[in-house]
Amino acid sequence: MSRFSDHEGKQQQPKLQMNRRNFLKAGAASALGMGILGAVNALPAKAADAVTNASVPQNGAKSKLHPVIDYGGASVRFVEHNDQWLGTSKLVGTVKNTHEAEMGFALACRGKLTPESQRGYYHFQFVMKHPLNAAIGGVAMNLAPEEMVDGKPSPTKLPIPDPEQMSQHIKDCAYFLRADEVGIGKMPAFAYYSHKMPSQDDMLKDDLTNAMPVTERLPYVIVVMIDQHLETMLASTGYDGISAGQSMRSYHTTGVVTVILANYIRSLGYSARAHHLTNYAAAMPPCIIAAGLGELTRTGDCAAHPRMGFRHKVAAVTTDLPLVPDKPLDFGMLDFCRVCGKCAENCPSGAITFDKEPVEYNGYLRWNSDMKKCTVFRTTNQEGSSCGRCMKVCPWNSKEQSWFHTAGTWIGSHGEASSSLLKKIDDMFGYGDEQIEKYKWWLEWPELYKVPAAH
Amino acid sequence: MGTFLVFLGGILFLAGIIFIKPRAKKDQKWKTVLNWSLYVIWYLITVTGISFVYINSIVGHVKATSTAIFLFLGLSVVLAVVLARLLGFLGKQKRTNSSVEV
Repeated sequence: MSRFSDHEGKQQQPKLQMNRRNFLKAGAASALGMGILGAVNALPAKAADAVTNASVPQNGAKSKLHPVIDYGGASVRFVEHNDQWLGTSKLVGTVKNTHEAEMGFALACRGKLTPESQRGYYHFQFVMKHPLNAAIGGVAMNLAPEEMVDGKPSPTKLPIPDPEQMSQHIKDCAYFLRADEVGIGKMPAFAYYSHKMPSQDDMLKDDLTNAMPVTERLPYVIVVMIDQHLETMLASTGYDGISAGQSMRSYHTTGVVTVILANYIRSLGYSARAHHLTNYAAAMPPCIIAAGLGELTRTGDCAAHPRMGFRHKVAAVTTDLPLVPDKPLDFGMLDFCRVCGKCAENCPSGAITFDKEPVEYNGYLRWNSDMKKCTVFRTTNQEGSSCGRCMKVCPWNSKEQSWFHTAGTWIGSHGEASSSLLKKIDDMFGYGDEQIEKYKWWLEWPELYKVPAAH
Repeated sequence: MGTFLVFLGGILFLAGIIFIKPRAKKDQKWKTVLNWSLYVIWYLITVTGISFVYINSIVGHVKATSTAIFLFLGLSVVLAVVLARLLGFLGKQKRTNSSVEV
């Protein structure tokens, strides 16, 4: 018995051994593998970038601080500038410069919507009613004066590098100042307002005679984008106390970054004007598209970024500093919005349209969402401060980064059929309209959320 | 951590191969191919499910976690049972030992 076992053991033993030839082959393969990995680290920076970031598309000048543009999983294509399209938005006529006093909140202030809405807007009460939002908004107000956003450039032009290097440098400046994304675009002339709205006292009387015409026409726009904070959004209803706080967080930061950038550019001897929440001379959505940072969405004039969706706020600097503009993006947002409509299903004011197709508005195609309804709800919301429910539920931006959300946005950026699939998966797993309580960090004061009574 | 998990996944995949190899080969080639294909599909669904459930539960997506447990774990169990049956781990006929008795 023992001899039989010994014999069997001897027969099996060679199977477990590795012969010398195989040992050498395995060694060579390991060495080759380690060598390739080592070489990637040892190569010059440019070559290593080419190896490690080969699949990431690059738009315009490449930042040193933020060399890999994070588009999430979206499949991004770059489109050319021309006079019939702004990015993926079709221009079907002459796009007129709009009066700042015609935008939603300005209409509320002028009493063109409802009396409650006017009272809710008065001195930004709909934002300031929450103490934290008031504290952040107060900082943004300090950036409002003309001398903060504009001024005369230095009479002496400092020597600067070529436009590509300068674009790289400007992007690096913005990232250094804590921008989440930055893009440079050719400034669309129609993005400028025709007039800036007059003082709030005049607006309350609906008197636009003191509205100042906007005469500036600078060739480039630098757009700075800041995330509105994922975890906060996951915990929020989208229209509770922190809703306006999320906006203010991004507005005041983009405001600070653009005011500093504009000041810096003027000190180099070039014209530059900052445009931010408390002092715009231009509408931001066309600037976002021109700077390769987004596409229009079903919400009307909100532009979504490939990674953040429209969970962001922007501010901009218009300038004549010689720069290389980025190209507008196409990541399939229009096809996605065509079949999704989750924002419309969840909009508490019913302002977002269920129409399948965009319609003509002021010479371009956009979805026919009702900004007046939206504004009335935001200024009179008694469950919180303002509203960003559409942002919260949008499948494009309601998640953390993970392999399956990356895969999801990749699927969503490939036409209507795949977008429909993504929407169904999103609904099945309950993303977007959930509230994750463990991230709720802010305080609520419902007693402060009432619209002030009429005097 | 991620690298270690990928390594662990690879080890488990190889362990599974070693485990079913003696039983996977059948007389008919298509049955052998079916066994291996089912094993690969079962492994992918199981690993994907574990990863999906883990990440969603960490972040706090309650509905996504519970739905994924039913979806991926259900699929994984069904495939595992089918594979076990095909490989002969389940439903083997009992040997009759009447000849021994005689």
